[in-house]
Amino acid sequence: MKATCADLERALSGGEPELFSAFEAHAHSCTKCAAELAGWRKIADAAPALRKKWDSPELWPAIRQRLAEESQTPAARKPPRTWLRWVPAAAMAALFGIAAAGLLVFRNSGGRDPLVSHWQTTKDPILADTAANEVEAAEKSYVESIEKLSRLAEPKLAAASTPIALNYREKLAVLDSAIADLRASIEQNRYNTHLRRELLTVYREKQKTLQELMKEVKS
Amino acid sequence: MKSIAANILGSRTDAEDAVQEAMLKVYRGASSFRGGASVSTWLYRILLNTCYDHLRQSRRRANAEAPMPPEEIAAAAPKTGTPDHPLRLSIEKALGQLEARERTAFLLCEVEGFSHREAGEILDVGEGASRALLFRARRHLQKALVASGAFSPAGAP
Repeated sequence: MKATCADLERALSGGEPELFSAFEAHAHSCTKCAAELAGWRKIADAAPALRKKWDSPELWPAIRQRLAEESQTPAARKPPRTWLRWVPAAAMAALFGIAAAGLLVFRNSGGRDPLVSHWQTTKDPILADTAANEVEAAEKSYVESIEKLSRLAEPKLAAASTPIALNYREKLAVLDSAIADLRASIEQNRYNTHLRRELLTVYREKQKTLQELMKEVKS
Repeated sequence: MKSIAANILGSRTDAEDAVQEAMLKVYRGASSFRGGASVSTWLYRILLNTCYDHLRQSRRRANAEAPMPPEEIAAAAPKTGTPDHPLRLSIEKALGQLEARERTAFLLCEVEGFSHREAGEILDVGEGASRALLFRARRHLQKALVASGAFSPAGAP
């Protein structure tokens, strides 16, 4: 392949490595294009230095506080459409961590999952021993299937380095942390249906995230 | 997220405000989420809209906050252990002269490391349009850097 000055835009727009190589070769014999290329590279070299990092210890607590305040207002309590209920959880979990995920979980009222149905049919907020055992057995098998999915996704997640993959990794870490916290709380009170609903919702969010991630990595 | 907001708004305080506001919008506006986009591109789109809203408001305000002072800019430099790039300040200044979408494409792809597909999703354009925006951004940056003396016309500083 041979490139000329007219190929500048296509070559430097990326996506055509062969054309770029040909343009580089052309630039060896063209002062104008050589200057363009040199300037191009200098900007590319400098660009990552524009990325800013600084600590904001007050930012996330402030957001959590405002979210908590909003969740107390009648308008904020109005639940979103059913199929969109997971969206705030995904966003919050990815960015705020356990507290925000908890907020969503609080808003979530379950679904068609058999485990949820079981809980929904339990009128008493405190589960009886038998019911708790049944729930724990069902939960165990659900968790095992998610962990299986998690093991499948792990190598893909480790290999991916795009910002989206990093976001997924961060979100999964947050969800795992929320799961650990909820499990610890449930150990203190295994009959608490609210905590179990929260745990299930976080697990479902993890499952969706893993599925989304697998789809993202494939595409 | 704070990084891109700071690069658009030129102030860490404003960047934190924008991130906070964007997160509240995410919480309030879950129903506007289109399933076709990933959550993170959706988040970034909300953040960028928030930043540009802030920018418009601050331009209207007579007592707009002063731009980030040099010492604050230096403090916000990447904490990667690598030395600061000599062109960073010149590029930051030149970025302000770019059209908003070109600047955003540059920040997303060159600074934050998004692919053109991801940047296209955030900007609500196709991958090709994202490439074209980045190309134009870099050309305009080059011209601005030459004009400011940061680059020699031959491309070597």
